[in-house]
Amino acid sequence: MATTTPDAVPLSIRELTADVGFVRRILRGRKWYGTEWYITVLGGTILVVITAATLLAPVVAPHDPNEFIGAAFTPPGGGLQTLVARSGESPVAPGAELSGQTVGVQRNRNGSNLAKELELDSERYQNQEALLDGLAGGEVDLIFLDQDVAKELVTSGSGFEVVIQELGRRYFLGTDNLGRDITSRLTWGARTVLGVAISSALLASVVGISLGLLSGFAGGRIDRVLSLTMDSIYSFPGLLLAIIMAVMLGPGIFNVAVAISVIYIPTFFRIVRGQVLSIKESLYVEAARSLGAKSRNILRMYIFPNVIPSVVIVFSLNIADAILTAAGLSFIGLGLPPDVPDWGYDLSKGHQFLVAGRWWMITFPGVMITLVAAGFSLLGEGLSEILNPRLSEN
Amino acid sequence: MSRGLQRYILVRIGLTLPMVLILVSLVFIVLRVLPGDPALAILREGASEEALAAFRAAIGIDRPLHIQYFDFITGVLTLDFGESMTRNRPVVEEIKTFFPATVELAIFSMLITATVGIGFGAYAAKNRKSGRDYGIRVSSIILYSIPIFWLGLMFQMIFGAGLGWLPVSGRLDPGNTPAYTITGLYTIDAIIMRDWDLLVDALRHLILPSLTLGLILGAIFIRLTRANMVDVLEEDYITAGRARGLRERTLAYRHGLRNAFIPIVTLLGLQFALLLSGAILTETTFSWPGMGRLIVDRIYDRDFATVQGSIVFFALLVMGFSLIVDIAYGFIDPRIRY
Repeated sequence: MATTTPDAVPLSIRELTADVGFVRRILRGRKWYGTEWYITVLGGTILVVITAATLLAPVVAPHDPNEFIGAAFTPPGGGLQTLVARSGESPVAPGAELSGQTVGVQRNRNGSNLAKELELDSERYQNQEALLDGLAGGEVDLIFLDQDVAKELVTSGSGFEVVIQELGRRYFLGTDNLGRDITSRLTWGARTVLGVAISSALLASVVGISLGLLSGFAGGRIDRVLSLTMDSIYSFPGLLLAIIMAVMLGPGIFNVAVAISVIYIPTFFRIVRGQVLSIKESLYVEAARSLGAKSRNILRMYIFPNVIPSVVIVFSLNIADAILTAAGLSFIGLGLPPDVPDWGYDLSKGHQFLVAGRWWMITFPGVMITLVAAGFSLLGEGLSEILNPRLSEN
Repeated sequence: MSRGLQRYILVRIGLTLPMVLILVSLVFIVLRVLPGDPALAILREGASEEALAAFRAAIGIDRPLHIQYFDFITGVLTLDFGESMTRNRPVVEEIKTFFPATVELAIFSMLITATVGIGFGAYAAKNRKSGRDYGIRVSSIILYSIPIFWLGLMFQMIFGAGLGWLPVSGRLDPGNTPAYTITGLYTIDAIIMRDWDLLVDALRHLILPSLTLGLILGAIFIRLTRANMVDVLEEDYITAGRARGLRERTLAYRHGLRNAFIPIVTLLGLQFALLLSGAILTETTFSWPGMGRLIVDRIYDRDFATVQGSIVFFALLVMGFSLIVDIAYGFIDPRIRY
């Protein structure tokens, strides 16, 4: 039985073809591929979840990523307001309509946004102290307080009472310096990151594979010139190359993708050229040639399909790297136009408020970049062990 | 020096020259030939026609391409990168001011990279296929997936802004500028001048940036070390040692690691381009006045001459470095010959 068979013993055909569910098949993958299978599945799962979230962004994201929805620097989980009055003097009963009332709020905070949204008249105060004095002194009868502040302040004997516990909306991951909802920016930002990274890897692979096939198959002078050129690009610091390309091409999603793709062309070129050189010498290619097959057909039918597995691995690893490079570019402030929600850009904005203690602005975008990059890396690593069993001897 | 080694070095130098030419020409193509007007790129949309024309004349891109190319290559060969357009001094002087900071950061980062990489890599190889091995491998993948500048931000937030233990920007405390520099590396200068306060200050500023850069590169290095160690540990002499009853630890760390060391150090040298890429981001995060900062700042200052000169300098640097690494490898390992 499968449960008692050691990993090394081949499973019976019945085991392999047994009609089991998707989840169980994934869990069984380890029997064929070893622990690498889990690495692959872990990477794949991360990517599926994030891709799904960003494809569903219009539904999942609570707000428009560019809308100044809340007050600036609302901490994670904050935003909810509590309606507070002097004990026993509330002009409205709990749960009743608020319209027509005048509410005291703190300027530029979520309370003043809420009053505007509910179309209430508001009395604005410069800070929390003035607001509480205003309420205690009878200038206003009702005030909006941040829920956590209210919880702390309105205890028995403080002279205040809670009228309505929860009003307004909660910002799960807080808001940034312009009051934009970070959760929404992260959800939409995944599109930008995935779009840039995948299209740059696609561009790089198309160019790199074509040149690699050409170089390896044609040999001679073409091969030497191409190899030297690719080696020179490869030895140059990638980010620097992307920086000057991005500066020259100007801002724009497609331009960034082009700028980044240049770095990765040599990677595809090298792996494809190396494979072509070794496959070209193999017996079956020689056999095809001696039977009179055309070069084009040899390339198309015998060499290209054998290059694909290595390309898949490099592709996945390259996307991971491209994500980091793209984030680095926008952190420096190059590449994307400012109205595109982007994690790297958010981090560079957050950097300015780091000393002020706005930790949420720099924490979450970075976590997302790491997750996506790690997803592609894990997938590529796992796949390389699975698709290249000879390497996995190590 | 043997004939074989001489030939190897000559061929290697002979190969470097065309590569330098290709790389420098690529820089030229990107900056001058590709669509995209440097004047427009630097001055941005909305600049007046006169301003654009003046800018083009100032950097000489209003002349025919082949003349520009000739001037460009002559400039590179004579190490003359022209005058900075915003600071009244030659670009070479600018590079001399900013380069030592990058070197200092690179050296300290490499120390951390080597320690972390060899330590964990060798340990993983010794315990191959164990839970610890997989743990180290997965951790290194995740560590490498962390954006370098974000790790820096987190360090700044925790150890700088949060705990207040370490400074978060610059090479020295404000006001603590040494009167003169000898090497430009403040730590080494401080040791030469026996100025221990300066040394402590310089080291305190170095800790976070070099940890940031060193740890991320260390993640790659763990994997390189592990792969090399695994190969070495399968050699016959290791099996022979095991048959003679040597302890596993002695086998792995004394006999194995010592032989894996040469390829590992060479691989470390080959990560040079990666080190420079990482340095650009680390310097931006920590306001570290090195080459990366120079380039990024001057892009914003619209100083095309300095940007171009610094990029060419980087091109020459990576080529020179890989030449040195390869030649050193040729000396160490007699099997490497053309």
